[in-house]
Amino acid sequence: MDDDVSNSLRRMSTRARKVAPKMAAALASTDNRTQAILARLEALENDNPGAEIVEPNDDDDDAAAASLDEDDDLVFHKKHPKGTKRKTRQAKALETAKKAPRTFLELLHDANLESLPPHVPTYLRAAVGPPSSTCRRHFCTVCGFSAKYTCVRCGMRFCAVRCQTIHNDTRCLKFVA
Amino acid sequence: MSSNVVVVLDNGGGLIKAGIAGERDPATVVPNCTARPLSSKKHLLPDQLLSPTSDLTSAIIRRPFDRGYLINHDLQSTIWSHIFSSLLHITPSSSSLLLTEPLFNLPSIQRTTDEIVFEEFNFKSLFVSDSPSLVHLYEASRRPYDVVSKAQCSLVVDVGFSFTHAAPVFQNFTVNYGVKRMDLGGKALTNYLKELVSYRSVNVMDETFLIDDVKEKLCFVSTDVARDLQIARRRGSDNHFRCTYVLPDGINHTKGFVKDPIEAQRYLKLSENGDLPSQSDETDEADQTEAKSKPSERNKVDLTKNEFSLSNERFLVPEMIFRPADLGMNQAGLAECIVRAVNSCHPHLHPVLYESIILTGGSTLFPGFAKRLENELRPLVPDVYQVKITTQEDPILGVWRGGSLLASSPDFDAMCVTKSEYEELGSARCRRRFFR
Repeated sequence: MDDDVSNSLRRMSTRARKVAPKMAAALASTDNRTQAILARLEALENDNPGAEIVEPNDDDDDAAAASLDEDDDLVFHKKHPKGTKRKTRQAKALETAKKAPRTFLELLHDANLESLPPHVPTYLRAAVGPPSSTCRRHFCTVCGFSAKYTCVRCGMRFCAVRCQTIHNDTRCLKFVA
Repeated sequence: MSSNVVVVLDNGGGLIKAGIAGERDPATVVPNCTARPLSSKKHLLPDQLLSPTSDLTSAIIRRPFDRGYLINHDLQSTIWSHIFSSLLHITPSSSSLLLTEPLFNLPSIQRTTDEIVFEEFNFKSLFVSDSPSLVHLYEASRRPYDVVSKAQCSLVVDVGFSFTHAAPVFQNFTVNYGVKRMDLGGKALTNYLKELVSYRSVNVMDETFLIDDVKEKLCFVSTDVARDLQIARRRGSDNHFRCTYVLPDGINHTKGFVKDPIEAQRYLKLSENGDLPSQSDETDEADQTEAKSKPSERNKVDLTKNEFSLSNERFLVPEMIFRPADLGMNQAGLAECIVRAVNSCHPHLHPVLYESIILTGGSTLFPGFAKRLENELRPLVPDVYQVKITTQEDPILGVWRGGSLLASSPDFDAMCVTKSEYEELGSARCRRRFFR
């Protein structure tokens, strides 16, 4: 496959070869950018954004103990006589997954509010909806003042060359993947 | 006495307000979460989080609420049982409960809540209410000659922890087809500030409690963003918004604090002095030369002393409530949210609703909030209508006080669902009594 690519590129000029990946990235980027925005909005609702940890669930151990045994029998029937340590850990992980509270969006999906007749006010219909004017102020992501320029690679805003350098050095494309 | 105790529980996503009906203020106001500090393995209960000795550095928080709705019932009942037994000292089996729930609560959540109230705690009876109607009730009783109580309707704007609602209330009932919601509240603002500070100065992504405190103490709503951005751009002491917050060092102080509270309040003087920045500049500068003996060196951030300074972040953070689009959110701002809520009601109600806007919820405590809202709302409202925005004297406790009032009214017992009715009819049928 690599050969194919090099073959097709051989006929192009060197300049086009350099620009092409960037252009391709730029063309595909709108989707990435919306994803990045959504991920960021999601992060604003997160309780522990800095820590990416697995809940240790120390306090729930006693309560979980009873159902843990059942899981052992069901899932790890064959492995039962062998390595106990690994089994417990897996069972524990399963247990946490089962016990973990479901997120609101899951509950909302289950409630199936779309199926209700249109005159019934629901959570979904109470949302305020898009703003009437599409104009949007842009603030520099580095210093916070109004930003004139957009980063060509990731779409974040900056206001001056100084901020652009900082942006490129520290966070450009970090949130777009 | 103990036979007819009514517990009023305003179960918010951020704070739980709990107390006995008939009293003016709730007995306890605690955060609705548990947190585990890095140093220990145990989760601290809500009231322990408030004690000045507890070290909350990088604490991992667990909340029973997600996006304003109750999702973790186990955690919630742990918190409730702690509140009932150790903070309120009541026995649920001999008391009634008035509980608030968010608007448009999902039936599955309601069912589980009923289960906890009746089957786990064995409450004698339950009344479930939504917050806007309680706020309306409280405000109407406080000012009996005002439009709110004469017309029996109001528009309650609740800027809460998880989201913001503009809810028309008519005859003590929330007009649910008129309610409009913005998915932006205090939690998102705190996280936004966290993000800004972490990128620009110190990494505080784990310090929710600390940044909450910074937000409450330093953030304000700007009445003229363009002007304030200009001011924030200046250097040295001309920058009236710059102020420094000192992080806890764990030895001398375990809580962060504002380095110079007088410096932090300078912007208030600025807005009083007039709209022109040049005028306010002169007076302010004059003030400063008189009042300040220290040179501008205090504006420098000393990286060795854990502190960070804020300038434009102070007003750009609450700004998001007015323009969520700036954050990339496809939602209208608060003023437009109010207009849409009013427009979905009967035209006869429009003038009265605009004249009786009540602000409630913790996020309305930012200085300048009401003024800015009025500035934004006025151009959107037909000029024959009056716009009047009232702020509650304590926006955090407003809902609870309304609940306390309702629960001490003589009709309250008749409105409740008793445990035997619940056992007979089940959750869904009982809920109909609350018209929800």
